[in-house]
Amino acid sequence: MSASARRVPGETRARPNFIWRHLIEPYLYISPALVLIALVMVVPLVIGLSYAFQSVVLLRPSAGGWVGLANFAQLWGDARFWRALGNTFWWTFGTLVFQFAFGLGLALLLNTQFAGKRLVQALVFLPWAVPTFLTALTWSWLFNPVIGPLPHWLAALGILSEPFNILGDPALAMWGPITANVWFGIPFFAITLLAALQSIPGELYEAAEIDGATPWQAFVKITLPFLAPMIAITVMLRTIWIANFADLIFVMTGGGPANSTQILSSYIFTTAFRKLDFGYASALAIALLGLLLAYAVVLLALRRRFVRI
Amino acid sequence: MARMELSSLAKRYGQVEVLREIDLTIEDGEFVVLVGPSGCGKSTLLRMIAGLEPISGGELRIDGRRVNETAPRDRDIAMVFQSYALYPHMDVARNMGFSLEIRGKPETERRPRVAAAASTLSLEPLLARLPKALSGGQRQRVAMGRAIVRQPRAFLFDEPLSNLDAALRVDMRLEIARLHKRLAATMIYVTHDQVEAMTLADRIVVLNGGDVQQVGSPLDLYDRPANRFVAQFIGSPTMNILPVTLDDRGLPRLANGAAVPLEGLAPEGVAGRIAEIGLRPEHLVPGAAEGALVSGTADLVEHLGSDTNVYVRTEDYGTLVLRVHGHHPVRSGDALHLHARPGAVHAFDRDGLALPRRSR
Ligand SMILES: Nc1ncnc2c1ncn2[C@@H]1O[C@H](COP(=O)(O)OP(=O)(O)OP(=O)(O)O)[C@@H](O)[C@H]1O
Ligand SMILES: [Mg+2]
Repeated sequence: MSASARRVPGETRARPNFIWRHLIEPYLYISPALVLIALVMVVPLVIGLSYAFQSVVLLRPSAGGWVGLANFAQLWGDARFWRALGNTFWWTFGTLVFQFAFGLGLALLLNTQFAGKRLVQALVFLPWAVPTFLTALTWSWLFNPVIGPLPHWLAALGILSEPFNILGDPALAMWGPITANVWFGIPFFAITLLAALQSIPGELYEAAEIDGATPWQAFVKITLPFLAPMIAITVMLRTIWIANFADLIFVMTGGGPANSTQILSSYIFTTAFRKLDFGYASALAIALLGLLLAYAVVLLALRRRFVRI
Repeated sequence: MARMELSSLAKRYGQVEVLREIDLTIEDGEFVVLVGPSGCGKSTLLRMIAGLEPISGGELRIDGRRVNETAPRDRDIAMVFQSYALYPHMDVARNMGFSLEIRGKPETERRPRVAAAASTLSLEPLLARLPKALSGGQRQRVAMGRAIVRQPRAFLFDEPLSNLDAALRVDMRLEIARLHKRLAATMIYVTHDQVEAMTLADRIVVLNGGDVQQVGSPLDLYDRPANRFVAQFIGSPTMNILPVTLDDRGLPRLANGAAVPLEGLAPEGVAGRIAEIGLRPEHLVPGAAEGALVSGTADLVEHLGSDTNVYVRTEDYGTLVLRVHGHHPVRSGDALHLHARPGAVHAFDRDGLALPRRSR
């Protein structure tokens, strides 16, 4: 039997060399995209990371050069770094918990039927549209006892002994930017979770009701499992975003008083652009990057373990 | 176990009246089948009984207790949805045991009950699978399993077999009949399938346009339909309707002058009221031209193997259907003269109400 007789209709006529077909040719097709990605993403990243192993202090241009792990050794002994790290945790999870709780509550509320729902829905998304800078300014005014009502209300509720500016109190200052960030970030959770809620088939709740489930049981056994994939992904994205997001802190407290609101990303910014020490700033950035990567890995592993849909 | 009383039960969506004044008593352990054309409110009625749909008027009592305002979870009724509504994130075993899990029953009690239901429905090999890895028929059985694990006092089925192939449908029909026999629970069953309705039901409820047309045993409905709607709805192919005229002696005659054979009807009911007669396809027989009720030509012949359906085009009555047992050698274009089997004629008055028939 000749070779051509074994030909199957529809068989490819390309060169039947395995290595060429499966290992080389596909990459040639996607090479333009790969080159572009490398140029835009990888090259700057590598250059940025390489600063961490050099001394790049713009005030002392002569002292440049490779210094190995010296920047990291300095970081290990830097009390301000550890302080900023602690603040980052506080800032990130303090914000996240409230954003998530309020966002979920709002999404559940918006998923029901009530009069004026469209209006409320539009209002909910409003904070998202307000520029960060304006948000920060507005909230710092709100916390200012001279022009803002918040200190007076807090004092009236007995939370504060007297109406003073919490942004000036090292023990309380962090709650200022956190409050602003919660307000700013609720719409994100409300929108995404509402979308996930609306994709749950209503008949599952009917089936659960027939099966005897109370509203709380239906929430725990149906709503939450359905929301879980969305929760995992939004919490992850949000955590990374918040941890890196220093705008509100910068405008409201500038990291003070006495570094009490300095988080890693604002510390990086200060180090790089105030002290012009890019080498050390880059080492700080790598530490933050490593922590966030570890966090993402843990969360994705949890997601794979617990999410079944 | 449950006896259900529906008195003047009504359902309105705003101005739209979907069900009105439904009066029906379902005895403990009875198997009631709801039939009716699409959109007549069967699902709505079922959902009202389950508690998923608020009742707009009238009263629903279960075992003598008014339950209009009772939440579904307190009615202790299981429902099998047409779309199954399985929980996609739970495996088959957990789906079936969910109602027990909700009630806080321990694993040691849930497992044997799920296993028993699974063996009834031959689901054992599938217990660890998620619903997405099941075929339509398997999902359907899981949905049934979820209902029987609970041992509720009543079962509601909304067209549970409509997505199955013919063979599986027959299997599941027998399974449901067996289940009903074994559990002796009250069952209400919605279907579009005549065979399911006729074979499963103790009583059939025919709904149309939001009203109950007739309630009765399957053979009752077949032999003594209350009106033209029921007569044409029950039975397949549908009953032929032929208008009649009264001659000068007041006797009903067909268009060709043939006298209507009235022996199946109660004579006192017929006089002066008869406007139409109804003849089921299986009660028509082809025969001699002499004395035929109507004549025509065979138009379309359907050979079903066990039966032959012949569509006969007539001058006076349009197309009539005739059903002959076995294989009939009639061919399209043949002339046919139709006679009625003795005692098989149904009669209706001008409003479509059936005239009384002689009791057998
Ligand atoms: N929310 C609603 N608003 C107005 N009318 C409705 C609403 N829900 C259902 N209906 C109407 O109620 C009627 C009964 O619906 P139902 O689903 O009970 O019909 P069904 O008898 O189950 O039909 P099928 O055999 O096709 O399943 C339909 O005519 C439908 O249009
Ligand atoms: Mg329906």
